[in-house]
Parts: sequence; C-alpha cells; structure tokens
Amino acid sequence: MKRMIKQLLSLLVILFTIQAQAMDVVELKQENSNKVVVKIRFTNGSIADPADKAGLTYATASMMAQGGAGGISYSDIQDMMYPWAASYDVFTDKQVTTFTFQVPVAFIDKFYPLIKNVVLSPDFTEKDFSRVMKEQQNYVDQVVRASSDEDYSKYALEHQLFRGGNMQHLKQGTSASVKTITLDDIKSHYQNVFTNHNVMLGIAGNYSDELLNKLKADLAKLSDKAYTPPVPSKARQAEGIEIEIISKENAFGSAIFTGAPLGITRADDEFAALMIANSWMGEHRKSYSRLYQKIRETRSMNYGDYSYIEWYSDGGSNQLPPSGVPRASSYWSIWIRPVQIASQLQSQYPELADVKIGHAHFALRLAIREFDLLIKNGMTAEDFAATKTFLRSYTKLYAQSPAEQLGWLMDSRFYGRTDYLAELDALLAGTTLEQVNKAIRKHWQTKNMFVTIVTDDSEAKPLADSLINNTPSPMSYSNLVKSGLPAEILAEDEVVANYPLNVKKVTIVNSADTFD
Amino acid sequence: MKTIIMAIAMGFTLIASLSTANADPTVAQADKILPYPIYQHKMANGLNVVTVPFDSPGLASLYIITRVGARNEVEPGVTGFAHFFEHMMFRGTDKYSKEEYGAALKSTGAAANANTSQDRTVYHMTGNSDMLDLMFELESDRFMNLKYSEHDFKTEAGAVKGEYTKNFASPYNQIDEKLSETAFNTHTYSHTTMGYFDDIVDMPNQYEYSKKFFDRYYRPEYNTVLVVGDVTPEKVNALAEKYFGAWKRGEYKSVVPVEPEQTETRYVHLQDGSIPAYFSMNFKGPAFSDSNIDMPALDVLASIVFSNTSDLYKKLVIDEQVVRFIGGGAADSRDPGLFTIAVSMVDKKDMPYVLAEIEKAIAKVKTEGVDPALLERTKSNLKYRFAMGIDTPEAIAESLSHYIQLTGDPESINRLYAMYDQVTADDVKMVANKYLNQDQLTIATISDDELGVLK
Repeated sequence: MKRMIKQLLSLLVILFTIQAQAMDVVELKQENSNKVVVKIRFTNGSIADPADKAGLTYATASMMAQGGAGGISYSDIQDMMYPWAASYDVFTDKQVTTFTFQVPVAFIDKFYPLIKNVVLSPDFTEKDFSRVMKEQQNYVDQVVRASSDEDYSKYALEHQLFRGGNMQHLKQGTSASVKTITLDDIKSHYQNVFTNHNVMLGIAGNYSDELLNKLKADLAKLSDKAYTPPVPSKARQAEGIEIEIISKENAFGSAIFTGAPLGITRADDEFAALMIANSWMGEHRKSYSRLYQKIRETRSMNYGDYSYIEWYSDGGSNQLPPSGVPRASSYWSIWIRPVQIASQLQSQYPELADVKIGHAHFALRLAIREFDLLIKNGMTAEDFAATKTFLRSYTKLYAQSPAEQLGWLMDSRFYGRTDYLAELDALLAGTTLEQVNKAIRKHWQTKNMFVTIVTDDSEAKPLADSLINNTPSPMSYSNLVKSGLPAEILAEDEVVANYPLNVKKVTIVNSADTFD
Repeated sequence: MKTIIMAIAMGFTLIASLSTANADPTVAQADKILPYPIYQHKMANGLNVVTVPFDSPGLASLYIITRVGARNEVEPGVTGFAHFFEHMMFRGTDKYSKEEYGAALKSTGAAANANTSQDRTVYHMTGNSDMLDLMFELESDRFMNLKYSEHDFKTEAGAVKGEYTKNFASPYNQIDEKLSETAFNTHTYSHTTMGYFDDIVDMPNQYEYSKKFFDRYYRPEYNTVLVVGDVTPEKVNALAEKYFGAWKRGEYKSVVPVEPEQTETRYVHLQDGSIPAYFSMNFKGPAFSDSNIDMPALDVLASIVFSNTSDLYKKLVIDEQVVRFIGGGAADSRDPGLFTIAVSMVDKKDMPYVLAEIEKAIAKVKTEGVDPALLERTKSNLKYRFAMGIDTPEAIAESLSHYIQLTGDPESINRLYAMYDQVTADDVKMVANKYLNQDQLTIATISDDELGVLK
C-alpha cells in the first residue's frame, strides 16, 4: 500500500512536470536573498507590430506597466507599493517584451495580486491611454533626435540596415504611425500577441514553490489565441559603402555608426570565436582595444571607439551588456563616438582656420582600415591568448545581480541554450587561433557597409563631397598635439588619409525627415 | 494603515534577521541599514582601508575614492581639471608604460573604469577576487608613481574635448552648465565637473599644473581604499600595507571659497525647441551631514512632495497630463548645494501654471507639514529601496563610496538611515521653511523662446 502511494505520488510529480513544461520556466532559487524577482517575457517585440501600426507592441506594454490594472488606478498601485519599495517595469525590444517585478520577500504575498493584474487584467483606460501615448509621440517626434547624437546615429543605422523589413522601425514607432494607434488597437494587440503560447516565466531570489505554481497557473489564463512570432527580417547587404549623413542644427561633432549583416548569433558556437576577435578590436568601453588605442589614445580624436557583433543596448550608460535584448537577426558594427567638425576646429585653433572638413572621414577610414588589416593578417597568437583569457573572466561579470542572472538565463533559452554564460566559457576555452582567424575572414568584410553620421548642418555637405569623391582627408591636429607625434604615427596618418573606401552612395538627410 | 505599519515592522525584522547570517557576531549589526559589517583600518600614512565581506563567491570590487573633484578647482582657468586628471591616471608609470598598464589591466579580466563629480574622483575595478593582488599592485603603482609625457598629456586633452562634444548633444547638459554658473557666484560649484569649454581647449597647456595637481591630491589623506566581496579584512589590510605602505602623506589643503547668501530669485534660460519645454527650480540647500536632521528631512520631503506617488505628480502627470515628468530632491554635496525640482512639460504654455502648483505644494508643507502616516510610509520606502539595491559587490561599493566622498567615513550610511528614522513631521515643515524660499531660488528654463517664460 505504502509503495503504491509512493508510486502514485511519483506519477503525480511526473504529470505535474509534464504540464509545467508547457510553459517555459526559468528558475533561480537564492534562499539567502532578501527579495523576489519575477520576469515575465513575451516573444513578440516591435517586429510583432502590424505593418501600419509601428509602435503598437511598445504602446501595449507601456499601457500594461504604466496604467491601471485589476480595477486599481495606476496612482493607487504606486501608493500600494510605496512602503514596500516594490517596483515593476517593462522593456520592449525588437523580439521580446519583458516585465520585471521586484519586491522584498516580506511583501511578496501582498505584491502578488499586482503582478497578476498587470499581466492578466490591464485596465486600458482612455485616461491612461492619453498619457502614455503623448509620451510615446513625444519620443518619436522629438526626444530621439535631441538627447544623444550617438544613440541617434545608432538607431538611424538600424533603420538603414533593415529598411523594408520588420526590424526597421524604432520600437516606439514613427511620428506618423503612433498617431494612428487607438485604444482598441491596444486591446486587441494585447489579446493577440501577449498570450499563453508565447510567454516565458522567470523567477529568482527567495521564493516559495507555492508562489511559482500560482504564477504558472495564472499565466496559463493569458489569452489562448494561437500565436506564432514573426520571423525577424535580415539586415540588408549594402551595395558598396552607403552613407547617410543626418544634418542637424547646432551639432557639436560628428557621431558615426557603421555596420553590415552578420549571419551568426549566440546560438552558433562560432560566435565565441568572433567574440575574441571583436573584443581585441573594439571591446565596449575598454581602453586596451585596438580601435580605442588608434583613434582616441594615440590621436586624441574623441571619447572612445568600439565594435560589436550583436545589439548592445544603451552603450552610453551600460559598461557591461544587459540582458533582455536577444535578437535572431544580427549585424556587426563600429561605433565611433563624436569627432570634431570643421567649424569647431576653426574656432579652437588658429592653425586650423582653413580646414574644410572635420575628422569624420579620417576616423571612418582609420576604423575600416583596422578591420581590413585584421581580416588580412588575422590575430597574433599573443593577442589571441590574452583576449581569450580576458573574456573568460570578463564574461562572468555580465550577470551579477539576481535580476541580471535571471535575465541572462532567459536570454539563453531564446538562443536554444540553457546557461549561455557557462556554455560560452566552455566555448571560449576550446576556441583556437585558427578558428578565430577563420571566423574573421568568413564574417567580416568592409566593401559593403552602411554608415550613418549625425553631424552639424555646416559639415554635412563638405563631408558628403569628401566621402563620395574619396578625397584625401589629412588628419588636422592642433600644433600642440602634432608637434609631439612620432614619425610612424604621422606616416600612418598619411596612409589613412588616402585609404580608399568603397563608397558608392552618400545621401544627406534632414534630421526632421529621419525614421519616416 | 495599522496593518501596513505592522507589515513594515515585520519586514524590517526579516531583513535584520537575514542580514545577521553574514555578520560578525561581535558587531551589533541588526539596527544598521547596511546588513554587513564595515571593517576600517587606518594606515600610519593616513590612508583609510575599508573592507565589507559579501557573499559573492570569486567576485570582488576594489574602489579607490579620491576626495577631489570639481569643488577643488579653485584657481582660474583650470575648471574641469579633476576630471581631466582622472583620464591621465590611465597613462602609465615607470614600471608600467601605458601599453603595459593596458595589457596588465586586461589580464585581470576585470571591469575597470573611473568617474569624477563635484566632490570626488572614483577609480573602480570589479573582477575575480583571486586577482586582487595584481589589482592592488596596479592601483598603488599609478596612485604613487604616475608618470606621463607632456605629449601624452596634450593628447589626452582631446579625449576630454570628445567627451564634452558628445555631452553637448543633450540640451539638459547645456542648461546644467548655465545653471551652475548662475546659482553659484563664488563657490566652485559654479562650474560643472566637465569644466568650461575654453578651459578644456586650453588643457594641453597645463602640463606643469597637472604635476602640481598630482602632488597635492594623490596622497593617502585624500584617499580611501574600499573592497567589497569575497574577501576578508585581514587579506585586504595586508595587501594595502604591502602596496600602499610607502605612500607619503602630503601637506596641501585647498581652500574652497564660501558662497555668499543669495538674496533674490535668479533666472537662466536656454533657447532650444528640440526637446519638450523644461524647467527646474533650484533652491540653495544644506551640505550633507549624517548628524544634522536637515538633509534627511529634505530627502523625506522630496519623496513625499515630488516622487511619483506625490499628490503633485498625480495631479499634474496622471490626472491633468500637463507634465511629462516631475521629480525633486537634494544633491548630497560636501558644501551647500542645490535642492532641485525638475519638470518636463507636455506644452510650454502651462509652465506658469505648473510653477504655481509647485509653489502651492511647497506652501502647504510650510504651513501644514506632512501627514504622519505618509511620513512613516516614506521612511519605509527609503529603507526598503536601499535594501533592494545592494545585491552585488559593485552596488554596495557604489553606495559606500558615495558616503565616503561626503564625510570620509563609510559608517555615514548607517548614521544617515538612522537619522531618517528620527525625522518628524515638524522637521519636514522646518526644512521647507528654512530652504525652499524665493530668495534662495534659481529657475532654469529650456524652450524655443528667446527669453525664459517664467521670469
């Protein structure tokens, strides 16, 4: 009898496990933690926007996270959470939307109904709609163009790379599309793309099994509509180097981003090999990488220069790559932070009173030449070994807090992995120099790229002429810097200034006309 | 309400009991906001060494807090120098050339960087705790023996100009520069940490001054070494003695001019229509103190009157929807700084109305004080928010370094949060009357108008 009960019990456990597997769940129990972190992720993102309603997924998610829910107004929800210092927010990216809830363990039971309401019973009131949409409209009309020329150039580069596809538009939409979004659109989009078929649950910290089971059971009550996430469009192959110069009033410098399609992601083992090459060339915010050394450290041209083999969110603020932005459609890119424009150089140094263009053309040539040299010569054994050792330590820093650890685990699933950071370490450990150099040659080329430059209206035309004509662009140093530069740097400058780029098209776009 | 307060009390008990798991039993930790003991070791040369063991297997953060920032830029023509100097700290020594330094830093596999603000410069590394020996060696070598060529010095100035150039794209940074020089006439808070552009362009000419700057401030008495993570105080203290023991104390003390009393409202405006219209109200506030009630009371006031649960926020942002964002608070600073209320508008025409609503909210606190129940809820919020935020060595080190910059003593964090507990409704009323007055106010505006519309 006792044995039978045991068998029955184990059968129940198995049954329960099978049922639980229907929903993708990531667990990270940390019994010493003083908090509970819940992440609820939907595989939708801005690529799930209907063609004529760009920004709808973002708007729907914002309405859920910044509006009333369960019949409780947004203000009252804020009031309830205030003494607990509990919080929640949402982050919409191109392919996923992630809600993150955090609460001290002591208040999880009181907080739970709010989690449930936000996800299952958003109120979608006219009043919240008016506020949330004003903010979104404001962003696409003004804020995106006026906050950071660096981010502006990055978004504009994506716009070029993915033109014509579902990855093209800003996740917030366009000035025209946001105006067309109605509350009914949001209500039906919520039913259509926030469903129990495309939800993933993540939970970390000091939580109980009871809480986890409650979450699973409640998330099963999401819309049951059949939903298949769209396939993200691929980045376009440029025909030669295609450049868009965004002309802006009162820009202080030229902000540059350039990129080309990349066929691999974290899902591919080869990604680790390319990661080593990329880290050596342009590790984000690292002073010892090649581009930084050449452009900033040696030549004093700007604040920093980096390269990427996947999307890097909010690079101006983040020192380490955040979770929550997994993407299946990728490109590699170079970020050249704002360099000087002619009018600034003229006003700063009498000896540069006659310069016609600033440093953008030279900087672009220098960065692309560095890639060409790497593609041609490969990494050295010494650089390879040092970079591999660095990355095996550095990537362990990506996921430190419970929320980030959970986020990275959830991203792992997106790429068909279980614990990407652990798997990455093994992949890095096994990568050889030959594999790295092979990956470089296979995935990087500089003949066909898209480039975006945000610059001052006084600089746009002379820069465009210089780029399309492949005009030599000698580096214009102040005398103070030039007098101390070693001969080999000046010789290299000469080569860079005349380095041919395969520029086939240069377009000047008025800032007001971008993202249309 | 009683239930909420009880729940709050229970929550604190829980946090305290969790925290004691890692605590040194000899240290009474339960009533401190930081649930981990802070070990301090004052070296003979004046260098303070702080260790906070934290359960993060294999991971540690090493922070060096240099209590020098834009505040110390007392001489003319050198605004922005503390920040510039932070850049120079990556330019090598006799032992490690800049290239060798870069390679050694890379070999630690750590996330390393630095930043500067009004009152301090912070150098930080987070990485493998097994690498701590090399991290200490690299840090002590540059802090004691920094050496760079005049050419490297001139070259680095271009990177600072690049930083200014990228920041300039934001109108908020532009108004910040104007606001500083309007709100302060004498004190060095009159310039931003970046410094004036003219001074930045002139930086390459300041090589000799840079050597003086290093000699003055990169001395043990201006610095604190802080390590948080998978470490013991014994190990950290031994490393500090080994690598920083020979560091010689300095003699320099900068005299920062005192800002005279402000006597009337000041105005500053940036004509820029590229972002939604914006204004900020900036009242002269107190200097940070962990023993005077004024700053804790102002922090509580800020949360009650200007946070996203405040009546003002609900009225202007949620209900009337005339404001995109409103927030307020005092910046902790070593000398009296600013209490700022910042507002981003939906439509600039409503600016005078919103200003009047803010003035009404302030007037209400001045006469009626605040609801005692809301006060308790606010205290709870402050404590839990802190507790929720300290879940990595880096987060704890960031938090401690903030208080080390202000007072030199990491225990300030525990004293401040104990002060929050003591804030009364009368205290909040008192600080509103003491600080939030028109003659102490500078109003900054951004709109497409030629002149500010709030004058």
